[in-house]
Amino acid sequence: MLVPIFNLKLNHKVNPHMVTVGRYDGIHSSLTCATTAGKVFIHNPHSKKFSQEGPVSFASDSDVNLLSINQQVAALGAGRLDVNSDKDVLAVGTQTNLMVYDVNNNSDIFYRETPDGSNSITIGRLGSYDQPLVIIGGNCSLQGYDMEGLDSFWTVTGDNVCSLALLDFNNDGQNELIVGSEDYDIRVFKEDEIIAELTETDTITCLCEMQDTKFGYALANGTVGVYDRNARYWRIKSKNQPMTIHGFDLDSDGVLELITGWSNGKVDARSDRTGEVIFKDNFTCAVAGIVQSDYRHDGTEQLICVSTEGEVRGYNPATKDMAGNLMDTNFEQDTVREVSQRIQNLKMELKNYDQNTKAGSVAAAAKISGGGSFSAERPFPPGEFDKARMGVIPAATQLQTTLTVYPGDPETSPHIELFIGTTNETAVRVVMIFAEGIFEGESHVVHPQQSKVSTIMKIPIIPPKDVTVDLHIKALIGYKTSSQFHVFELTRQLPKFSMYQLLPPQAEVQEPGGHCTFQINDRISRVVLWINQSFLLQEDLACEGQQLSIAFLSLRGSGPLFIKIEQSGQVMIRTDDMDLAAEIIQSLSNFLNMEDLQVIADFPEDMEKLRQILVKVDEFHSVRQKLTAEMADHSNLIRNMVVRAEDARIMGDMKNMRKGYMELFNLNRDLINGYKIRCSNHQELLNCLKQVNQVIQKAGKLRVGKYKTQVISACRVAIKNNNVNSLFKIIKSGAS
Amino acid sequence: MYRYMYTTLGEKSIRSGHMEFEDPALTYQVYVDEVDVDEEGIAEMVMDDNVIAQVSRPGTSLRQPGVAQGGPSQGVRPMSQSGRPVTGFVRPGTQSGRPGTMEQAIRTPRTAHTARPVTSASGRFVRLGTASMLSTPDGPFINLARLNLSKYAGRGNLAKALFEYIFHHENDVRNALDLAALATEACQFKDWWWKVQLAKCYYRLGMYRDAEKQLKSALQQQEMVDTFLYLCKVYVRMDQPLTAIDVYKQGLAKFPGETTLLTGIARIYEGLSDMDMAVKFYKDVLHFDNMHVEGIACIATHHFYTDQPEVALKFYRRLLQMGVYNAELFNNLGLCCFYAQQYDMTLNCFERALSLADEQTASEIWYNISHVALGIGDMNLAYQCYRLTLANNNDHAEAYNNLGVLELRKGNADMARAFFQAAFILSPHLYEPHYNWGALADQVGDLQSSYNSVKRAVEAFPKHTDSNDLLKQLKIHFALL
Repeated sequence: MLVPIFNLKLNHKVNPHMVTVGRYDGIHSSLTCATTAGKVFIHNPHSKKFSQEGPVSFASDSDVNLLSINQQVAALGAGRLDVNSDKDVLAVGTQTNLMVYDVNNNSDIFYRETPDGSNSITIGRLGSYDQPLVIIGGNCSLQGYDMEGLDSFWTVTGDNVCSLALLDFNNDGQNELIVGSEDYDIRVFKEDEIIAELTETDTITCLCEMQDTKFGYALANGTVGVYDRNARYWRIKSKNQPMTIHGFDLDSDGVLELITGWSNGKVDARSDRTGEVIFKDNFTCAVAGIVQSDYRHDGTEQLICVSTEGEVRGYNPATKDMAGNLMDTNFEQDTVREVSQRIQNLKMELKNYDQNTKAGSVAAAAKISGGGSFSAERPFPPGEFDKARMGVIPAATQLQTTLTVYPGDPETSPHIELFIGTTNETAVRVVMIFAEGIFEGESHVVHPQQSKVSTIMKIPIIPPKDVTVDLHIKALIGYKTSSQFHVFELTRQLPKFSMYQLLPPQAEVQEPGGHCTFQINDRISRVVLWINQSFLLQEDLACEGQQLSIAFLSLRGSGPLFIKIEQSGQVMIRTDDMDLAAEIIQSLSNFLNMEDLQVIADFPEDMEKLRQILVKVDEFHSVRQKLTAEMADHSNLIRNMVVRAEDARIMGDMKNMRKGYMELFNLNRDLINGYKIRCSNHQELLNCLKQVNQVIQKAGKLRVGKYKTQVISACRVAIKNNNVNSLFKIIKSGAS
Repeated sequence: MYRYMYTTLGEKSIRSGHMEFEDPALTYQVYVDEVDVDEEGIAEMVMDDNVIAQVSRPGTSLRQPGVAQGGPSQGVRPMSQSGRPVTGFVRPGTQSGRPGTMEQAIRTPRTAHTARPVTSASGRFVRLGTASMLSTPDGPFINLARLNLSKYAGRGNLAKALFEYIFHHENDVRNALDLAALATEACQFKDWWWKVQLAKCYYRLGMYRDAEKQLKSALQQQEMVDTFLYLCKVYVRMDQPLTAIDVYKQGLAKFPGETTLLTGIARIYEGLSDMDMAVKFYKDVLHFDNMHVEGIACIATHHFYTDQPEVALKFYRRLLQMGVYNAELFNNLGLCCFYAQQYDMTLNCFERALSLADEQTASEIWYNISHVALGIGDMNLAYQCYRLTLANNNDHAEAYNNLGVLELRKGNADMARAFFQAAFILSPHLYEPHYNWGALADQVGDLQSSYNSVKRAVEAFPKHTDSNDLLKQLKIHFALL
């Protein structure tokens, strides 16, 4: 069994996710964690070694070095930024800025304002950049700074970034950036370009690099799993939340395991292929972070787990003779338990078969006696034996499922209707639907009251996003009074744009103002094929001539959608929803295998909104500056008053001291009020900036391939130069 | 063996401003050299939240006094009243050193006559640029409250003059900041001058990060010595001396041989107690400007404390030639003459020093004369000198300590104890009174007091052999019990 090789208590609370390790002097590793009150502490047990000989003592509080950041720390990272030096730097991200700091020399390397905040930090090489970058993921934005503090990498993503990882995703010898965000997507950036997008079922809280092209991920809903490129190897779900994940070869078999730290204090190591637990341990409180480093300075890397209360445990990788037996439990016991479980299952199955034969023999007896009808639908004649209770149903029973768009009526909101019905009088007792990302908790069970059970069942589905979803349906079929049921399993696919209702050609709908146009070189029948595949149509659309005009109405209330294709191959999409247009273009270009696509887009509503937001951003900035100066002035005054009041106290002048502290109290209250105003101002500023980033991201998504990156970088330049007009032009035409 | 203490006096001199004045006369009256004049207030010092590392590696922070690297040890070169090695040149900031508690912080300036302001935003600048304290006979020149700043922000030259008036004369940093922010916007962020002014305002308000940003952006547009100096000041405030030195060096690459930059580096090394490097840079300064008072004085002090009074004498005489004529200089000359065995000059110098001295300096001079007395073995004269020192300045801890030693020689143990205690209560960072009292207590058998006192001595000066010996001896003794 694997036991910790060292165990220490740091006596500081540790913020979850904010644990890192760095060699700030180039030799010794120091554990670095963010703690409460805007502080970062560095555990540095090696510094003593120089002053006093003897073994390194892992114990005391005095090894801990506190750094004051004076703001809530949002993310921490450590790594080498200067290729010519072997020292690590520490990067500390807060809601408003990023500080990269040389711990050893107590000096800043650079300090940057990051209005988009920094939720996650990683340091390393990206793509073909010749210098390592500090990459921070903020609200919808990704920024990479080099050694000099220049932001040489910048792009936008769909939502707030929660987690980042650098690894060689497509095995091309260069690192790609894996980004997990709040819109449940894992995106893979090859420099500026998204090369893969994986949809998950909740916010991606952690990502970690594993071997080769594999990476681990963790979700806010308690799921952890491993991907290899686009394919998911395995995943498990727990009622606890994974706090941190890390890839580490704990059993020395040359393959990294996925180490997960959970919110209930559990730490487990799972095999990367199967997800089988090979080791576990327990902390008394939630795990804050897991890192690896040569902490004892003996040439082997240890796995270091830190809990939120500041307890640290270090594990050496298992030696060869311990292979496959890292856990406390006995292997034999496990096997016996497993075998007896299987025996139990087999016995149950056997019993069922027994009863069926019994029923069969009763039926046979009935047949011989010649009583009652007997047909394929009714294999069993009614007899004393209660066939219904037995759960025997006709062999020809079939389950029918259809998906239809239901436009809604005054009582119910519009939705997609899943119809499930049997072909005879057998009833649908229970339906379980398992689908990712549609239901809360991934599965949906419909279990009507006994009295309401019928042969059909209608289930409303409202997918929150336009994604293709596989519905895995399990239906329990039997008679109303049965106690045992047959399970029917089937899978239906929900097309990507299922929440759109086809409008009849003669329908009078006002055309939306926003539109985008582009040129395709493919046959129109291919486009029709795409429409048939991606929209939920009652009957397939037929291809007539070289022109096509089709209209849909969104069930989500974002208005009508028109798709028109001219003879020349020019496609025009009219909708007010920029997001929808972007999704359609991405889906279509993907279907038609287009590498690059330039699009002319005009969305007057969105542009007007953007214009207003930019004006607001300017206002917020100037207000913020005023407020900040006021606060600084106040805090100077407060310090002044503290000194004066203390002075009075030391001199025993109680009257003046009282007066001083009263004034101080009042001023302090003002300051707090001012702070609250500033907070809400900042929050709104953040929201605005997020929206700006989202618009840029959508503008990028309207284009494909190189035009996409072009648009994003051009927008970036425009924003940097505060050139609003050129920003609009870029979004419209796709080039500056 | 009891310890006497020696000290020299720093040169007092204020560097004149090196800016061009072209402002209205009113501003000119109160123009202070922004870069040089800066005293950290008590409030900033005690409630400091700009420093990142609370405990940093030795030699990377200005906040831990007394970790000497190179140069003479604490035993030879005394500490100033706040626990820094004595420098050769008195300037704002040389009396820094961070007291542990508010009480200590408030008490120190009263005793040490440092005139430390309560906060840097209020006190010092009001005092230096006193205009805002003076009342003008026919009401204020400009009524700031009624000024429409955005109107003036667009009018380049007028805005600059107005800014200087608000900033220097009225000392109203917030309005100045508003004006500067509007003006820099009005010129589309293309005028580096406004950026530097913005940074000055931020610096005054204690927003060092914002100041840093503005200065860096100003440097990208136009490299100016002044901007470099200001940026370094910001880093010093953030307690990042090594970053400051880097910036100075960047400045030097652009302006080779710029003495203000070189002096800046030397000062930081001095603050880090790295005397060898400090002297190296002071020598560089003299290479480019051989009339540099601060450089000469600091090198002289260094030579004096490294047992080369003759060399120090040379430097002090150079100062005299340059026309510096004050009590401190004559005092130092006197001491150098004495240690260089030019006895005929010694007393003459001290006499002249006394005739030029004010009350505070007089106490120091008497204190130094006492060393001469000790040197020639005239204990009575020494005793009188210490008494005179205390008469001029009754917070002179070193004099109390030395008086204690003299009393002890006379056999008055009780008096001696009282003097030692007075000394270490006044200046807890001096190790001598702690050790002396420890040694005395040890002799009279008060082992507990002795132990406590010696422990404090070791804290103040970890490498003091006698203290360590005594401590070890006491520990063994206690272990035997």
